[in-house]
Amino acid sequence: MHEQSQPMSDAPVLSYGRAINQALAEEMRRDERVWLMGQDIGRLGGVFGVTRGLLDEFGEQRVVDTGITETFIVGGAVGAAMSGTIPVVELQFADFILIAGDEVFHKLAKWRYMHGGRVELPVVVRAPTGIVGGAGAEHSQSLEALCMNVPGLKVVMPASPADAKGLLKSAIRDPNPVIYFEHKMLYRVKGPVPADERFMVPLGKASVRLAGEDLTVVATGLMVERALEAGRRLGEAGVSIEVIDPRSLVPLDIETIVRSVEKTSRALIVHEAPRTAGAGAEIAALIQEKAFFALDAPIWRLGGTDTPIPQDAELEEACIPSVDAIVEAAQELMRV
Amino acid sequence: MCELRIQAHVAEHGFGGFWHPGLGQEGVQAGAVAALGRDDYLLYAHRGLGYAVAKGMSLTEVFGDLLARSTGSTGGKGAGIAHFCDPSVGVLGEGGTLGSGFVVGAGVGMSIRLRRSDQVCAIFFGDGAASRGTWHEAALEASVRKLPLVWICENNGWALSRPFNAQSPTENVADRAAAYGVPGVIVDGQDAIAVFDATQLAVQRARAGEGPTLIEAKTVRVRGHYEGDQQHYRDDRADAEDLDRDPVEILRRRIDAGRASELDAKVSAEVNAAFEEALAAPRAEAEEIIFMDVYA
Repeated sequence: MHEQSQPMSDAPVLSYGRAINQALAEEMRRDERVWLMGQDIGRLGGVFGVTRGLLDEFGEQRVVDTGITETFIVGGAVGAAMSGTIPVVELQFADFILIAGDEVFHKLAKWRYMHGGRVELPVVVRAPTGIVGGAGAEHSQSLEALCMNVPGLKVVMPASPADAKGLLKSAIRDPNPVIYFEHKMLYRVKGPVPADERFMVPLGKASVRLAGEDLTVVATGLMVERALEAGRRLGEAGVSIEVIDPRSLVPLDIETIVRSVEKTSRALIVHEAPRTAGAGAEIAALIQEKAFFALDAPIWRLGGTDTPIPQDAELEEACIPSVDAIVEAAQELMRV
Repeated sequence: MCELRIQAHVAEHGFGGFWHPGLGQEGVQAGAVAALGRDDYLLYAHRGLGYAVAKGMSLTEVFGDLLARSTGSTGGKGAGIAHFCDPSVGVLGEGGTLGSGFVVGAGVGMSIRLRRSDQVCAIFFGDGAASRGTWHEAALEASVRKLPLVWICENNGWALSRPFNAQSPTENVADRAAAYGVPGVIVDGQDAIAVFDATQLAVQRARAGEGPTLIEAKTVRVRGHYEGDQQHYRDDRADAEDLDRDPVEILRRRIDAGRASELDAKVSAEVNAAFEEALAAPRAEAEEIIFMDVYA
């Protein structure tokens, strides 16, 4: 696996959304068993424009528009995967995982197990996650912890354009079902994305996005950008944070996180999902199990409010951790 | 005979799960599956094991699944409600949540189409499962695309304790076919030959690219929802237990008595040998099996 086949600085700059598009196109060219299904992904190119152009290149047999039939989108992917194809399906919003709950948490997560390992379920469910500036309570959730709690699923959360491409390619080639949480607020964020078709990012390998000495900040999804910005500001104030993006939550690369905590002796976990029983609770528990004696302070979690997400964009923003909130929490934690 | 052997075992020894007997419904299961080719797929319903046996799964494996033995196709992880799976003969499995086969089966149809294969997929379900919303989503998507599917409803008149006429505004499940622009065919489910004929036509139609067919086989649930169910809610038990409606008896009357006895002896020996073999096999080791197959 070529994690980086050319220096990132020479790579073409692409948006996160186009990076996902590029991964889909490359995998569909490579393997004719790979096909797409979802609402408005063909003619429209997806409500967020991610699949634009793919219908023209691959035709309507492989880029399939469906009705408002989420149980079919995911359940159909299960049947199609069991019988020899590799479906990559799009739920228009990650929230719709709950509409297809039986298909995601039962069929996708359990059918291989229930049937003695005799079927394989190479399915990727693309799930546009998080806030997007006014989509409301049923179109803005971060449901990754729910998926972590149901064994059988892999859970991926890219935070940069390069990771979006490399992780999606790995997810498509993985023989297991993968829930791929792509963040709606990141679609337009740009960054270098290797054009080499062999470029992949393995599942289960965290990325140290910023090296530091004083405090480990574990952040996911949209919070990675914010933690990096907080890191720049804190650096000016003389606090050196190390920002780690796990990139996949199942499998979780706890070793990289623990190594960092052993160096810094302090940990802050930041995610957009509600704080209670979020992914941060699991990560915090694992850190204290594996590195309790390295800690100089309690592990802190900064998460979304334990509320539904209100529709108004300003209220929405008030529900999730801001750069300011990360800076403040980091400074306070350094004083503990 | 498989049904009776399991019934006897459950009566004598109890059972680690809930056995949902298919007694009385074997005619639908065997008749329909006989019209499928070896390469065709099926997703079965939860009542009985006629589908898997008729499709060619090993009896020892199927019984092994029921008894949670290491010889079962799932090694005990699908046991209880009796999940078995053998993709090599097209038996893809079943959901524990009723009606989940509709959408999965429609996806199998998508895959058949994409691979330009001439296979078909048969999806079995009861009149109770026909109430699920997944039916509507799958039926719409499959009909509009003319996917190569055959939907076979085993209408035994009961969704656990709720009679069919209390669940359905129309007399037949087949009446719903009109909403999806597909043929809705009603057959006597106690007559395996009639079910075979109806299924064969539906399979031909599916292979010809003409889309799904909904077959409703009127049948009876001879036993309770699960083996041991006292069925206080039920007022048609005498009818259900009437041997004149037994599909095996009905089929037997069509063949020579001597030939029928020969078959009885042969099948009885096979069933008993397979059951004893499964029973004698070790249970799967918990530590070994629990963590197997969660991920590929």
